[in-house]
Amino acid sequence: MTPPSGSAHETPSQRIARWTAGYRPHAGVPDEFMDDQGRVKGAWPRVLDRLGAMDESEIGARFASAERHIRDAGVSYRIYGDQRDHAWPLGSMPLVIEEDEWRSLSEGIVERAGLMEWVLSDIYGAGSLVAQGLLPAAAVAGSPEFLRPLHGVAPPGGRWLKLYAADIGRGPDGRWRVLADRTQSPSGPGYALENRLVLTRAFPDLYTDLHVERLASFFQAFREGLAVGAQRSDPRICLLTSGPMSSTYVEQAALARYLGLLLVEGDDLVTQDGVLHVRTVSGLKRADVLWRRIDSDYMDPLELNPASRLGVPGLVEALRGGHLVVGNMPGSGILESGALSPYLGGIARHVLGHGLSLPGPRSWWCGDPDALAHVRDHLDGLTLRPVATPGKGMARDAILGPHALEAERERLVSALRDRPFDFIAEEAAPLSTTPGWERGPGGLRLVPRPFVMRVFAAATPEGWRVMPGGFCRISERPDVAPIEMRAGIKSADVWVLSNRPVESVSLIQQGAPRVRRIAGHLPSRAADNLFWFGRYVERAEIVIRLVIAHLGSVGDAVVADLAGDAKAPTALRIRALLDEWGAISAPDLPTVAIAREALCGRKTHGSALAHGLSARDNAASLRERLSSEAWRVLTDLRDALDHDDGEARSEAELLGLAERALSHIAALSGLAGENMNRTAGWHFVDLGRRIERAINTSALAVRFAGDEAGAEDLAVMLSLCDSHITYGARYMHGVALDPVRDMVLLDAFNPRSVAFQIEAIVRHLDELPALRADGLPEPHRRLALQLRAEFSTGEAVDFESATLARLEASFESLADAIAGRYFPNGPHALRPEKLMGLA
Amino acid sequence: MIYTLRHLTRYRYGKPVRFARCALRLRPQDGDGQRVLESTLTISPTPRTRIVRRDYFGLETEAVTIDAVHSELRVEALSRVLVERPALPEPESGPSWEEVRLSALASRSLAPEAPIHFLFPSVRVPLVAEVTDYARASFPPGRSAYGGAFDLMMRIRADFRFDSKATTVQTPLAESFALRAGVCQDFAHIMIAALRGLGLPAAYVSGYLRTIPPPGRPRLRGADASHAWVAVWCGQGWIGLDPTNGIGVRDDHILVARGRDYTDVSPIDGIVSSSGSQKLRVEVDVIPEGEAMPPEVAEFERAEPEAATA
Repeated sequence: MTPPSGSAHETPSQRIARWTAGYRPHAGVPDEFMDDQGRVKGAWPRVLDRLGAMDESEIGARFASAERHIRDAGVSYRIYGDQRDHAWPLGSMPLVIEEDEWRSLSEGIVERAGLMEWVLSDIYGAGSLVAQGLLPAAAVAGSPEFLRPLHGVAPPGGRWLKLYAADIGRGPDGRWRVLADRTQSPSGPGYALENRLVLTRAFPDLYTDLHVERLASFFQAFREGLAVGAQRSDPRICLLTSGPMSSTYVEQAALARYLGLLLVEGDDLVTQDGVLHVRTVSGLKRADVLWRRIDSDYMDPLELNPASRLGVPGLVEALRGGHLVVGNMPGSGILESGALSPYLGGIARHVLGHGLSLPGPRSWWCGDPDALAHVRDHLDGLTLRPVATPGKGMARDAILGPHALEAERERLVSALRDRPFDFIAEEAAPLSTTPGWERGPGGLRLVPRPFVMRVFAAATPEGWRVMPGGFCRISERPDVAPIEMRAGIKSADVWVLSNRPVESVSLIQQGAPRVRRIAGHLPSRAADNLFWFGRYVERAEIVIRLVIAHLGSVGDAVVADLAGDAKAPTALRIRALLDEWGAISAPDLPTVAIAREALCGRKTHGSALAHGLSARDNAASLRERLSSEAWRVLTDLRDALDHDDGEARSEAELLGLAERALSHIAALSGLAGENMNRTAGWHFVDLGRRIERAINTSALAVRFAGDEAGAEDLAVMLSLCDSHITYGARYMHGVALDPVRDMVLLDAFNPRSVAFQIEAIVRHLDELPALRADGLPEPHRRLALQLRAEFSTGEAVDFESATLARLEASFESLADAIAGRYFPNGPHALRPEKLMGLA
Repeated sequence: MIYTLRHLTRYRYGKPVRFARCALRLRPQDGDGQRVLESTLTISPTPRTRIVRRDYFGLETEAVTIDAVHSELRVEALSRVLVERPALPEPESGPSWEEVRLSALASRSLAPEAPIHFLFPSVRVPLVAEVTDYARASFPPGRSAYGGAFDLMMRIRADFRFDSKATTVQTPLAESFALRAGVCQDFAHIMIAALRGLGLPAAYVSGYLRTIPPPGRPRLRGADASHAWVAVWCGQGWIGLDPTNGIGVRDDHILVARGRDYTDVSPIDGIVSSSGSQKLRVEVDVIPEGEAMPPEVAEFERAEPEAATA
């Protein structure tokens, strides 16, 4: 990021001069900023004038706030196979393109997208390209993305592609050219949008003053395009994700939220009689359109890759029947195969009557004997690569250069002898450059940096439409040899500068949408995650409260320094409970060690940290339903608790830590209470918390408000239920068994009592959809009503130890019954099994 | 020769299954020197839906959904097939393997039987450098493709040990190659990888093999098994070669399906909603016409998934 530098009394023009004085494009490499005569190009003077008017500390502060937003909102990506999220790296300098140039670029993209659509429908239909020799049969049959079950299937709505993307850069002649086509399920539109949103926030005037084209209307048109071909007028559109482990899950969640799509995983979907449905808490609901972000091959374990756990059995059959629209159609990825690129020019001449206005680099398929001879003679100037690069997630975006293959060259040459048709060769050319910041001795300056820009085109009811912008990846390394755009890259916004002020459009639909108050049906899997999110947060809270009790901070003067006397029976029972709940590894550790482990233990499955992380995992699967504030609080909670186990800490420090963690949990409760819409989602979060609190409070009452409970026990009980202040105000004469039991079990006005929980549970269940049409209560409701009756009619004396133990078990059964009713297929439920293989 | 075939598959589940969705590929195919005279497929419990269609390679696949709660799935395929194949080519006859490779590649056909589909790695047949190198000895420059393939088959027959305990249906190709052991499925996959590694099209064939009971003993019921072999593109057509037995394919082999590898032709694929254990039991009878069905019933039980034996 741009840190403050440069002298304070520098004028804007001096500043700009300092930034650009040493700027020199690499020889023979086209540059966005400067032509080969050293002249600054196009709109850059305008952009620099506006940026130079701010001093560097202000620019730095604005970019820093943008980066902070990205981190806080959790905009991230994941490198395939890596467990961690990487914050999305936002570069500081946008790629700037003027309207006129953009127009001709877009025309080239539209032309190419149209050709791609034509080629797909030919490959999966008539097959004329192969029959006429315009495309080798091997280019089709040899691709793992040639999905034979899709052959002869007419895509509902008539389109194979809903979204096309091209990675582009400038060739040595300065003209734009396509480095790679993306037809499988292009990633990146969400990152483009996110870059734009945060930078617009950081530099609101800049966008208006410079007439930067807006992105919103593109997304609106894309959404309309998705619905084309659906059989219902108000179709349910789902975004099919592979889940939180996907490298671009956060992008997918953000897009689902922005476009108002239902984010689903394969488990959420089921086909029935050739129609696709979403499993929701209200039963099966028809899904009309899928925007898939998983690879085609994984879409249907029955007809495509049988090893897939991500797809939906029967999905291809639903496509055949025309009851489902999928964008992009399974099998579209075949166009990403390198074997096609040498033939695209010829196909364009055949189909369009002229060559591509936006061509790719020259390339040769080594299966053609003449091409092979050429490649053998010119190996040094070429990039040789396998036709089918098996790729996953971001790795697919890699561009392989000749030096990347040098080590393998020998093996490749031998492979060329046996199976030349597995390779294509491409003219090796360096990536073109655009300015990026670098810190020099006298402050910041601009230097040429290699980049690749991804441009998107959406199939809309009015034809192809190109996003006026895109997402650009810029290498931090200065060398311009083709590089793998993964390590050391930054992303940048792409500015298309209009000559006129641009109209602002947001995602407010034209026409008159129907007003609704229920945000669709909640998928069972999401309900399951929400429910467990609530339960884990509550578990974290009770463990923290136990630790506070353990550390002796159990309220005012009622009980003094329990933890000081480890032999005191109450203190022992706290330790025993922490041990039983898996928060600590042994009950006889020193006081500080117990507190540390129960709060921050990474190895103990029941520590507050472990529950906090589980809650965060559940939340991670719910990103499209969760506010960024909630995510930030969860991250704060983790950061508060995630300390090195071995770190020595005093009791006072641990107490402070526990209290901080409690306040984060209180913040979460506040967000849920005040900010969540009272739809099914909120009911499940709160149900989870209420059930868990009822179970825990019953369990605590067995141990600290049992028949033999002493004064210390009862004081701890009040403290654990956060009820000691109310108790002190209500009863002047100190603690006694029945009043305490009444307060923590039966007082329906006390939000910590079990009675309060069961009332809330029954209310939630009343508002959730029922599946039975005969009016009889479903089993989980019957169980809840029985429990409520017991609590609303009981008296403190009735709740003896044995009763308490029974109630704890009853609440556990209730939790199971709710899970069995609402999420029989959720992640906590049993998964479908594959039939085992046979001979 | 006319055969009566019976292929019974039973899955027994530890816990009742609420829903099952299967793809069945159990009916023998017409063509390629055989004709199906009669064929039935019986499924129990009765499916909710049955959709029959032909896949890209022309193989009849029946997609079935079952929504009755069941503890046993039973699929029985019964058929009568007439097999009459031409004699095998003369040894070392036909175009050279280099010519075959070029012509396969130059073909402008994506038709189901076109060799181009069988030239590339597939799910169960990756290309393994060691396997390709193993194949080289059979293919000196200029040798006929058929001659080379036949020689390769005989070498596999000699170098590899038949051992049904050595591999399972899941064992990767490279592993069974390194072991130099396996069953017919492994040998077929290895031979396919070897041929494709040199750029020659090769397909996986599933079916049955006629077995001859020991002299003086009647045929045991259910004692036969499904079998697998290789079809090699030798320039003019597909020729069946059986590396498990080191023989060319004529009237003792009954073809069910041809695909790129086992995945394309696996007799039953499916997904069930269940959490319990599965027990698989397969019985196969291959009865040449004129021979009586034996009274004995001998079944072999398998707790583990196991590859075909022959």
